[in-house]
Amino acid sequence: MTSPVLDVRRLSVSYQTGRGTLRALRNVNMTVQPGRIVGIVGESGCGKSTLISTIIRLLAPNARIDGGSIEFMGRDLLSLESEAMRALRGDGISMVFQDPMTSLNPVMTIGRQMTDIQHRDNRSRADKLARAARLLERVGIADPAEQLKRYPHHLSGGMRQRVAIAMALMTEPALLIADEPTTALDATLEVQIIHRLRQLQQDFGCAVLFISHHLGVIAELCDEVVVMYAGEVVETGSTREVFLAPRHPYTRKLLECDPGRIEESTRHLPVIAGKLPDLVDLPKGCVFRSRCDESIDICARKPPELEGDDHCAACHVVGQ
Amino acid sequence: MSELLKVRDLRVRYPVAGGIAAMLDRNRPSYVDVVHGVSLDIARGETLAVVGESGSGKTTLAMALCGLAPVLAGDVRFDGAAMSKARDQHLRPDRRRIALMFQDPVGSLSPRMTVRRLLSEPFRIYSELSQDPDRSVLELLSMVGLSSDFADRYPHQLSGGQARRVCLARALAQKPDLLIADEPTAGLDVSIQGEVLNLLSDLQQELGLGIMIITHNLNIVRHVAEQMAIMYLGRFVEQGLSELVFQHPRHPYTAALLAANPSTNFDVVPERIELTGEIPGLLQRPAGCEFHNRCPRVQPKCRASFPDRQSSNGKQGWNCFHPLP
Repeated sequence: MTSPVLDVRRLSVSYQTGRGTLRALRNVNMTVQPGRIVGIVGESGCGKSTLISTIIRLLAPNARIDGGSIEFMGRDLLSLESEAMRALRGDGISMVFQDPMTSLNPVMTIGRQMTDIQHRDNRSRADKLARAARLLERVGIADPAEQLKRYPHHLSGGMRQRVAIAMALMTEPALLIADEPTTALDATLEVQIIHRLRQLQQDFGCAVLFISHHLGVIAELCDEVVVMYAGEVVETGSTREVFLAPRHPYTRKLLECDPGRIEESTRHLPVIAGKLPDLVDLPKGCVFRSRCDESIDICARKPPELEGDDHCAACHVVGQ
Repeated sequence: MSELLKVRDLRVRYPVAGGIAAMLDRNRPSYVDVVHGVSLDIARGETLAVVGESGSGKTTLAMALCGLAPVLAGDVRFDGAAMSKARDQHLRPDRRRIALMFQDPVGSLSPRMTVRRLLSEPFRIYSELSQDPDRSVLELLSMVGLSSDFADRYPHQLSGGQARRVCLARALAQKPDLLIADEPTAGLDVSIQGEVLNLLSDLQQELGLGIMIITHNLNIVRHVAEQMAIMYLGRFVEQGLSELVFQHPRHPYTAALLAANPSTNFDVVPERIELTGEIPGLLQRPAGCEFHNRCPRVQPKCRASFPDRQSSNGKQGWNCFHPLP
């Protein structure tokens, strides 16, 4: 087996809040192999954003890493000097954000922004512009030389997001993190972006960590999926296996709630009863127990560990 | 079902600020048509879903109906009476009877007011609505499934789903007949999305509300709306009974949109309809049918003139010269 691009081991992160210590991530394990697209799915508050911020080391000042490790291409990110980390951001790991309008500078032309981010290269401005144009072409933007002279507000939402992807790929990163990049787009553009991303990923050979709460998008794009709930990883595996034969009760319920999977039209959509546990005052045992219909005695006493070879689930009932 | 809202050929036009670019380029239009001739009907107890991508004019349509955007032309009747227009071209709806849930729930709640104050504000304006505002606030909270201790929280202490519920409660406080919900589930998780939509359905049944829901999530439309309309560059290119439109889309954009919906069904390989080209800006509205530069079925005629509305027995209508068979 080749060594992974990203290897997160037993990562725990907490925030100091007025109410006490909020344990946002607990013992998170996940791996991204080279050339794979891994999706992270989970509801708001499940720790997706904290996980990404920890990987790129842009955590809020009140956050504390309580334990665990993050290895990127064999380097331990958590012990890296901030200068070295800075050099890695953009170069080794780059990111596409949710809203392309706010990640692009509105008062600079696309060309200016795309040459600015090549500041580490010792090339002429003309070379950099030509390179920017080539990348725009690869993300499927017609007439790239002309587009470089335009401002973000001249472009449609789908184009802006493709510009953001082009910029993220510019440095040929080993890992591309995409945080809900298609939320603002209509379905036709959404599939366009997904397919483009897939193709680019194959061309560039980078690994992709893709965050979304749209289950359909994950199913279509990702090779593997990591399901998170309340700061823990509850299930991992190949997308096909997790979606077709989910093992953790939470994953099953999440899939049942997807209105896209309900064939018959219904006025009453299924929901997951109950509430997310309070991360300041965590319940004993399994975090999902209060919302689970299958819980047994041990669930109240001992938190389950993520178990399995390729398709893992953190559940006592599955383990039996 | 009795008619609640009837809109005919509504147009919203915004002036485009001048500046040097406009002076140099005489061909540049000095206005932009954001809503370009929209007609719709909503009956009591019925839901219409307006689907379209960001920038297609969905929100502007909602704003115009609430008197928050200037109306160039068109006829709007609410509960049988024509809506009057103010001198500044804005419609003057009965603000109590038409409620709007804004797209950004936290942004639409004042950060300096508690939920209690936010919810009792409508009663201060329409004092006839409640004898005992304090009690009504608690009733509203329980109606949207929030416990009474939420009354003393500030908006920043609410989660996305909770903030949406407060917005819904505030919209309901004024006992409206029509509720316009702009992306009521954007950014919500599937489970909470289900809760908010179920709540809307329940309240609709209880109160006989007419609802216009704006969304770009096709998966929910089939479940919550009897009627749907697909908006592209300010026009409804297809509209009708959701069931019919989903089963048998006629406009190529609708067909592409429905086929593009990413799904978790691995065994069915979707027959995607590849759209090429970019969505034109509103300032560069193409001649003829606005969809022609991306349409897989385009013919020379489409570039020259805009197709009239065709319909099948009044239950589904579309604007296309070469609709899907």
